[in-house]
Amino acid sequence: MIHLRDVSYVRLGTRDLEGATRYATAILGLEISERSRGAVHFKSDQREHTLCYFEGDPADQVVAFEVDSRVELDAAGAELERLGHPVHRGTADEAALRKVRDFVAFRDPTGNRIELVWRPQMGARRYRGERDAGITGFSHVGLCTTDAVRDEAFWTTVCNARVSDRIGDAPLLRIDEIHHKIALFPTNRAGIQHINHQVETSDDVQRSFHFIREQGIPVVFGPGRHPTSSARFLYFEGPDGMVYEYSSGVRSIADELMYRERQFEFAPPGFCEWGAKPGIKEFKS
Amino acid sequence: MQIAIEQLRYVVLGTRDPEAARRFAVAELGLQVANESADEIALRSDERQYSVVFAKDDARRQAVGLEVRDDAVLLAASAILESRGIALVRDPALASRRNVRALAAFTTHGGVRVELVVRPQHQAWRFFPARDTGITGLAAVSLRSTDVAADEMLFAEVFGMRIADWIGDAAYLGFDGAHHRLALHPASRAGVLAVEFGVEGINQVMQQFYRLRPEESEAIAHGPGRRPVSDQVFLTFRGPDEVLYAFVAEGRQVDPAAPPRPRQFADGPASHCSWGSECRVPELDGRAAAPARPSLRGVPRP
Repeated sequence: MIHLRDVSYVRLGTRDLEGATRYATAILGLEISERSRGAVHFKSDQREHTLCYFEGDPADQVVAFEVDSRVELDAAGAELERLGHPVHRGTADEAALRKVRDFVAFRDPTGNRIELVWRPQMGARRYRGERDAGITGFSHVGLCTTDAVRDEAFWTTVCNARVSDRIGDAPLLRIDEIHHKIALFPTNRAGIQHINHQVETSDDVQRSFHFIREQGIPVVFGPGRHPTSSARFLYFEGPDGMVYEYSSGVRSIADELMYRERQFEFAPPGFCEWGAKPGIKEFKS
Repeated sequence: MQIAIEQLRYVVLGTRDPEAARRFAVAELGLQVANESADEIALRSDERQYSVVFAKDDARRQAVGLEVRDDAVLLAASAILESRGIALVRDPALASRRNVRALAAFTTHGGVRVELVVRPQHQAWRFFPARDTGITGLAAVSLRSTDVAADEMLFAEVFGMRIADWIGDAAYLGFDGAHHRLALHPASRAGVLAVEFGVEGINQVMQQFYRLRPEESEAIAHGPGRRPVSDQVFLTFRGPDEVLYAFVAEGRQVDPAAPPRPRQFADGPASHCSWGSECRVPELDGRAAAPARPSLRGVPRP
């Protein structure tokens, strides 16, 4: 079994690197950790980078997970090959670009591009956002799935993910104590469905609601509170149709033995207990 | 001698359309009708027998009810207020209507009508809301005053209220463990600006926000937001007869024995909400036509 330690970073292609950079800093509140040829790396916490925009196709989207050792990385590569997922071993240059010691890349059953990384680089300097959004760090991704049952099985049997709750067929998956680090949403394409950053308090969520609206950026869902993870949330539009989320107060699942996942309805009340209605395609039936 | 206020007790609101007021109070606020007569509807929000009275009367006739301990206090108040040129009038008929042992009313220099009551009724059976709004009780009343400096002085000096904070010239007044129970806002006409109910938590505040359909309706006047002065989460919405209602939750508690120093905040919407919500209340965003900038308490008018 592939033991995913944590979600590590997201890489997104864009045709407008300057625009995406402006958005990531002035709106989202991330900090530029490095500008290189054709790519900008962004910091959201103690890690050296958790988001990278690069010049390229916006459909080119990658999410990376950390594994503990090179032995595990090698074993994961072999296991994925055995299961019929072609694996690309990262070159030294590619690894340097990702600020990791080593990595393998593959596609999950839906076709989402996943990287497993070993020894992602920490930052010596702490994160300081371009605006006071209260970000405490990159925390989870929503992934598209063309078959939720098949993909849930992949993440929970090939990898170490556990189902924390389900909204309809959409599983919210944890790989550590945090309620979810991966969420799978049924749709007809591959790619990253949303990118979550945690913020310090629900005040930060509410403040950002007014800030984002004043900037003329569509808020697509919220402010609200998820009945599943109990997190206060706000979803809003990013460059190239990406959806970004701020949330605060996500539930921790400490007792693995006693916890039992719950089923919520795939309808607005399953997504928000305050009464907000999602304007996100994958959250609507 | 100071006249000690025991409790914020009720608010009286004149209404042109009692049926509409009653519908709003029951459906929107979840209050329970406690008593209904030909000219009055009393509604319950907590352990008090009632905390809101709609009077079939002039819509501008508004008052706030404050509880004092006993008849002796009422007598003393009469003398002190008289020395300040304010008549305290005993009204046995109104006392009987309000279901209290004694009642005396006065009007402040700023035009705020106050009813002082002795031994108002406590309800033995628990409050059962008409709708699950999570109301915990009447929390505060925001008042418009045409002379905030004089009224602030009156409430502070005669009734021993604590100045919690100021925003511009508006004063927040407390007399128990809550940050404030009354707020005085400068305005060109006196009366009740907002009636505020405590609710269990932020969930109830936000549920009310979505219930009021923020996209399509003009019902929301301010919020959802958090008040920098009291740390309360709030949502202010419009009720009948141009009175505002608010749901508030959380908020700072104060030790009345060792209250913190009052702080001065700048006039303007930023001092009323730290989330940056849109403010459509003229009294709060500096747009209200105050008669003239009032002199501050203790600072002579230039």
